[in-house]
Amino acid sequence: MTLVAPATVTAPPRSGRKPRRDNRFAAWLFLLPALAYVGVFFGYPLAANLVMSTQDYTVKSFYTGEAPFVGFDNYAAVFDNPLFSTAVLNTALFTAGSLVFQFGIGLALAVFFSGRFLGSALLRSLLLLPWLLPLVVSGAVWRWMFDQDHGVLNAALRFVGLDAVPWLSSTGWALPAVILTNIWIGIPFNLVILHGGLRAIPASLYEAASLDGAGAWQRFRHITWPLLRPVTGIVLMLGLVYTIKVFDVIMVVTGGGPANATQTLTTWSYRLSFQDFAFGQGAAVGNVLILVATVFGLLYLRSARATLAEAAA
Amino acid sequence: MKARTVFGVLIVAVLLFPLYWMLNASLQPSGALLRPDPAFFPVDGTLDGYRKALSSQGPHLFSSVVVALGTVFVSLAIAAPASYALAQLRVRGGPVLVFVLLIVQMIPGIVMANALYTVFSNLGLIDNYLGLVLADSTATIPFAILLLRAFMISVPKELTEASRVDGAGYWRTFRSIILPVSRNALVTAGLFSFLFAWADFLFAVTLTTGQSFEPITVGIYRFVGNQSADWNGIMATAVLAAVPAAVLLVVAQRYVVAGLTSGAVKD
Amino acid sequence: MSLPRRALILAASAALLTACSPSPAPQASTDAGAPAATSITELDYYADEQGSAAWQKILDTCATQTGIKVQRQTVPTAQMLPKVLQGASSKTLPDLLFTDNPTLQQVAATGALTPLDGYGIATDGYYPSIVKAGTYQDKVYGVAPGVNGLALIYNKDLLTAAGVAPPKTWDELKAAAAKLTKDGKYGLAFSAIPSEEGTWQFLPFFWSNGAELSQLDSAQSVKALQFVTDLVNSGSASKSVVTWNQNDVADQFVGGTAAMMVNGSWNLARLDEQKSLHYGVVPIPVPQAGGKPVVALGGEVGTVPVTSGPTQQAAGKVLSCILSEPTMLEWSKAHAYIPSKTAAATKFGAEQPAMQAFVDEVGSARSRTAELGEKYPKVSQALADAIQAALTGKQPADQALKAAQQASGS
Repeated sequence: MTLVAPATVTAPPRSGRKPRRDNRFAAWLFLLPALAYVGVFFGYPLAANLVMSTQDYTVKSFYTGEAPFVGFDNYAAVFDNPLFSTAVLNTALFTAGSLVFQFGIGLALAVFFSGRFLGSALLRSLLLLPWLLPLVVSGAVWRWMFDQDHGVLNAALRFVGLDAVPWLSSTGWALPAVILTNIWIGIPFNLVILHGGLRAIPASLYEAASLDGAGAWQRFRHITWPLLRPVTGIVLMLGLVYTIKVFDVIMVVTGGGPANATQTLTTWSYRLSFQDFAFGQGAAVGNVLILVATVFGLLYLRSARATLAEAAA
Repeated sequence: MKARTVFGVLIVAVLLFPLYWMLNASLQPSGALLRPDPAFFPVDGTLDGYRKALSSQGPHLFSSVVVALGTVFVSLAIAAPASYALAQLRVRGGPVLVFVLLIVQMIPGIVMANALYTVFSNLGLIDNYLGLVLADSTATIPFAILLLRAFMISVPKELTEASRVDGAGYWRTFRSIILPVSRNALVTAGLFSFLFAWADFLFAVTLTTGQSFEPITVGIYRFVGNQSADWNGIMATAVLAAVPAAVLLVVAQRYVVAGLTSGAVKD
Repeated sequence: MSLPRRALILAASAALLTACSPSPAPQASTDAGAPAATSITELDYYADEQGSAAWQKILDTCATQTGIKVQRQTVPTAQMLPKVLQGASSKTLPDLLFTDNPTLQQVAATGALTPLDGYGIATDGYYPSIVKAGTYQDKVYGVAPGVNGLALIYNKDLLTAAGVAPPKTWDELKAAAAKLTKDGKYGLAFSAIPSEEGTWQFLPFFWSNGAELSQLDSAQSVKALQFVTDLVNSGSASKSVVTWNQNDVADQFVGGTAAMMVNGSWNLARLDEQKSLHYGVVPIPVPQAGGKPVVALGGEVGTVPVTSGPTQQAAGKVLSCILSEPTMLEWSKAHAYIPSKTAAATKFGAEQPAMQAFVDEVGSARSRTAELGEKYPKVSQALADAIQAALTGKQPADQALKAAQQASGS
């Protein structure tokens, strides 16, 4: 990474090296509180989880603090478990399905609501309401709506002449059902942040493009999309992290069932720890998730760096 | 113009239907929505749920507001300077920190809760507002830094460099250039910090004992026993809890719009 | 606020010091000579309004009787175990703990509990199964003031209208459920969710047919699971049973969409509130006429964690009071439980006819952890998975149970 940004070159020459060192020192001062917080609050849990995954950690270990070291046995046990592949597949489907639709719908709504029309601001704020509900509440409401016999979704399907769907009681439909719930929960997040990103794009660009005769799609394609990239990147990355670790939604709506059809790595990790009392294995699954995030984090950084380079060019 | 409003209302209506269903449930006896013909309108309604919720949930609501606002404050106070440094000052190792911030968010909630309980019980931070605010900030600080950084990257360097040339220190540049320009992003980050803290259940239940205060997400369990669930009361509590928070949200959104118009002058 | 906080910080630094030094965990000795403390902390999961109020009354009664102040903390059910483990690891366990009986052995295995004999709490006169549930390595660590179990609760009006008598055997249950299924109503509702709750609901069928938890894939076990699966496949019970917890089941019954349900005594108070609902209770039907139903024993056991001599003694005193016969009866009446002492239960059943079916069953009820001990949760989870696999048609009953046996054995 080149440290000399074009802007610094144009700055009037004071003394050769001082500004940059000054800059670095100031930067660290600005970063200090965040660094201290992250170190204190995440260092210990992260280390504890890593250590636990290499131990035969039982309920007894909580009290005595002693757990024998077992190397990679927990990881081996997890990979050997027939549920592992189920959980991986479900996690992948859940994450991909949620992300694509949350982002797609969120972006479409953000574009729609950024046009100024009567009530646009109010309607947009209203869309945040689902976030104010405790998950035990929104989960329960969705569970009722999904009910096979008397749920309102099936009533609607029957009304338009379709067959009722066994949303939560069939192994084939349960995953789509929880994905649907999660999309619903995730739309406001995508909408609001992308909307903020859209607002940051100067209106003059659009006006100029209109004068040049660019249509709505062309304006989106050549102005909105490229200028939104830093925000798009972070929304997708955060969305990925939040979606992979979704726990409450699944627990409230299906509990991981029926027959493990909605068991993801996160719910399985919890189950290994608190139902099977295999805390080491639960921690190992948690670390697998951290590893997955690491890979995507690296990809994100690479693309973000590319964006930065573009912006600097 | 009119057509867009109608379409917008329609979208909101569809997306908020589950909320209407909750409102409907809060006005009907437990299990009423699972009968063969669920009542779309609470015609034979009952206000029992609201009566119960009002009598027991008021203090919990207050606690939740305090914790959520505290979290917004702490998160922004720590995240904003850090984002400025990461986005504008190009620190060596900055990308590593960004990377770490992404990774730490993957630590399972229960692992965080277990670890924080141990530390907090040693420090006397159990049943303490500050303790809960600091714990809730584990979700919001990484989020706020990443989000603000993404927005601050697009603040033109010329703007900050010019201020530096004028002889302003980094702190003044941060305060008088970066913060006003990023007002929009700050409100967005603050908004979600509020919502994250508001919705938190795990830290709340782990780090409070109910002896001194209790956030609403835990308070709602007054209606959920190991063998019973009073849906009427639960839904009523959820509706009541959503009202003050919704007002806060709308006010905040107004503020965004206001910030935009004043910011627009600079363009 | 400043003074208590200061005290807290002082206490915290002391705790920090002790936590850092590698001192051995305090011994589980119960020094009978130590003077009792004047105040103790207590933890339970009776979180809901009614349960919470009923339990508070019991605690108040015993606080008055013993002169010991009880500081209570209530957590949602699912948070109980995490809370206990957090308490164990930071040595901040409550002085008195009430936890679901199948988790007692897990908690005892940590070494964080004290045996009850040190507090003069004897176990004679109790149902043997509840004592077994509270026993770990030949020592009694927990006893419940009240117990519960599952029975078949039926809607009298619907059964009369259909000309069906309350079923006593599996064949009768199957026929009755089929006959009662009509007009959008199901004959039977039960819970088969993928957790301990699902296992607990299935165990009466499993055990009554002679199956054992040590052999999940036995012929008796397969037959029991097949029986339940057939009820769903024939349409006599909704396919949604795999998503219903016991609250949902009760909602279905109260809403009139199920004519019979498998559920516990704690629901009776709620059913009584519905003036238009007339219900009856019979024991869970058995495979053959003349057999005895074997249900799983439910209820929360009281136990005294290792804290300090004086607080342990005080907690022991409060627990003794809670286990005394008058308090036991008070609790059972208020929460629709069955007293855990045989004599008290007999008296209770005579006073409360609606509870008689439950009282009858508790006599032959089994503790879930008696044979398996610490291994129970894993086996229970495997069994719940098998039930779900069979009910959703993912696997036939015999294959599902074979897989469960493998999973639980490893």
